[in-house]
Amino acid sequence: MSGSHCLFCRAEKREPLTFLSLLSPDTSTGFCLSCQEQLERIDPLYSCRLCGRDLHSLEPAFVHDQICHDCIRWKQSGRNGLYGRNYAIYSYNGFIKEVMTMFKFRGDAILADGFEKELKKAYSRIIDHRLRFRFLNLRSGGEYEAIVPIPLSRERLVERGFNQAELLARKLGQPIVDALIREKNEQKQSKKNRRERLLMRETPFHLKNDQVRIVTGKKILLVDDLYTTGATMRLAATAITAAHPKQIDSLTLIHG
Amino acid sequence: MLLSSKNDSSPKFSLDVQHFLYGREYRAEELPFSEKVIKTHIKNGYVAIRPAVELLKENLLDLLTGRKKWQCRRCGNRDQEAFAVCTCARCRKKCVYCRHCLNMGIVRSCTKLVTWSGPAPKAWASVNSVARLCSWNGILSEEQTAAANALDQALAAGYSFLIWAVTGSGKTEIIYKAIERSLMQGHHILLATPRTDVVRELLPRIRSAFPSITVSGLYAGSDDNDPQAQLVISTAHQLIRFSDCFDCVFIDEVDAFPFHYDPMLEFAVRKAAKPGAPFGYLTATPPPGLRNAYLMGSLRGIKIARRYHGHPLPVPLFRWIGNWTRFIQHGQLPKTIHEWLMEKKKQGCQQFLFVPTVTLARELTEILQKEGFERTAGVHAEDPDRHTKVAAFREGKIRTLVTTTILERGVTVPGVEVAVLGADDPVFDACALVQIAGRVGRSPDYPEGDILFFHNGKTFAMVQARHQIEQMNKEGGF
Repeated sequence: MSGSHCLFCRAEKREPLTFLSLLSPDTSTGFCLSCQEQLERIDPLYSCRLCGRDLHSLEPAFVHDQICHDCIRWKQSGRNGLYGRNYAIYSYNGFIKEVMTMFKFRGDAILADGFEKELKKAYSRIIDHRLRFRFLNLRSGGEYEAIVPIPLSRERLVERGFNQAELLARKLGQPIVDALIREKNEQKQSKKNRRERLLMRETPFHLKNDQVRIVTGKKILLVDDLYTTGATMRLAATAITAAHPKQIDSLTLIHG
Repeated sequence: MLLSSKNDSSPKFSLDVQHFLYGREYRAEELPFSEKVIKTHIKNGYVAIRPAVELLKENLLDLLTGRKKWQCRRCGNRDQEAFAVCTCARCRKKCVYCRHCLNMGIVRSCTKLVTWSGPAPKAWASVNSVARLCSWNGILSEEQTAAANALDQALAAGYSFLIWAVTGSGKTEIIYKAIERSLMQGHHILLATPRTDVVRELLPRIRSAFPSITVSGLYAGSDDNDPQAQLVISTAHQLIRFSDCFDCVFIDEVDAFPFHYDPMLEFAVRKAAKPGAPFGYLTATPPPGLRNAYLMGSLRGIKIARRYHGHPLPVPLFRWIGNWTRFIQHGQLPKTIHEWLMEKKKQGCQQFLFVPTVTLARELTEILQKEGFERTAGVHAEDPDRHTKVAAFREGKIRTLVTTTILERGVTVPGVEVAVLGADDPVFDACALVQIAGRVGRSPDYPEGDILFFHNGKTFAMVQARHQIEQMNKEGGF
């Protein structure tokens, strides 16, 4: 793939000619401007401090101290355990839904390349953010020591051909640890409603025996494509908790 | 499994598999049969299997540079930019996949395409040819009759044939004779067109002309897929899953938009036809390849320069309207257009307004509705209500239809008049303009009508289009 065409709409990318683009033309693959405009980026300064949701679209009554109502309920439920917070890059909208359909269900794996820049940017922002925290609060911080993509069940993996979370995680440019297995081939999360998702208590995830050592005492970053209710993340965190990691956070491409 | 056990000496195969796979080509994972059944059929030679994405033969340069070139066997894609690599969980290797035909289900280099290679099903070969199949009772003009006979003879002898006929000359009726003869021989016939609207227009006409034949219409979103149909009317996109199926192929409007734009569509039609099947091309504006082949004599064909009602083609008039898009942006209607529309409103006739872009179609519709031209609607390719709007226009409920080039072909509304706004836009090439002009005066009751090109500077395409129409009129003896 060369970079002259948009990854998604395949129209010719027409980026404005500037001195910078003249001196170092951008040949990386990616989306054209009109596709990028349709992606709804979440403002990191005004997003929920726990789930990364864009708070602009939420009624002020549901927000307390930059934490959204859902996260307060999670806190009260006592099911958070070691799970800390989620970071998200885009809000869910019609356009990104189309992109994800193409990516996940039609199998256009190369679309992950289009998100590479943003994922890397988000990752370095997260680390930076934590470093600043360390300086102020003397909290130990820094890079995540293990990046764990949320796995698919064996059956689904064969059906789809690839794990979208793993592809996205690889784009972070950090080594990834494939520590989890998804045992049961349960119903797709996207086919369940909110109640059904939250009711599920038994985790479908299991830690691989040979990976326990790698995870113990480490800071873990879970990676997935979508954060909706947060149920998946907490179930995965529960499975990892057995190995006593230091902390678990997560990064998703989309919130919604 | 249904096993044909009539004759013990004949090898056995499942009729289900035969009916499902004959004339089609599916990905192995799309099949509703168990792997074991398919494997036995492959072993006995009834089912053929091949990789979906294959390496093209390398030339010396690629050999030296180590570059690999791929080809998709399903859609014929050879554009290397439309291939991508992913890690594949199925074969646990890196797989190349074709991005061009992803919408039909992904094909990777480990995907297998499966087709029938055994004997043809009995149902296909049966002939019920006693009575006349065609119940169309119209009378063909002299030119039409001559063309119909020539077409029939050429196709019967296995030669491809070009019908180069002006818009509104009754092309569809010309092919009835050849279709009837072919059906009687038990042939399986394809009528391919580039556009959904044309399929929807043709389907009821063909159905009523051939009442005893199962006709199926394939277009995106159609639920009318009878695998046993003897006559299939389809958009080219829908033909991707066909392979070696049709004995005779008609392509209506060979030169229309997606066709000459996307080589996949031509590939799909060629793949759907049996090897050596004759093609009947129908067009008012043949693409250079076909036109040259016809003029040089390597392709048989006939030219019809007169409409079936015997009146000349309306010749387009050019009207300069300056920088009209600025008017539209300011929410105004250029004066010349306003006057023309007022005049037409008084006469009470329907109009098509062609515009170059979807945005302009939307804006112009709004302006017209605001200016008091009631019963105005706009359509474009992504419009979900497009079919209902076109139907309402046909019934006369909508007076003015603002449209992009999607309605340039195949849509026949008696007494309609046409204006092209921004005829100088590169979207409107000479072919498109000839087709648009051909919307006017198609019915014998209204053989004339306005066709106006509103422009901001004449283009070569506009002049060419007018020249072609005048030339055809001259050849038609006017």
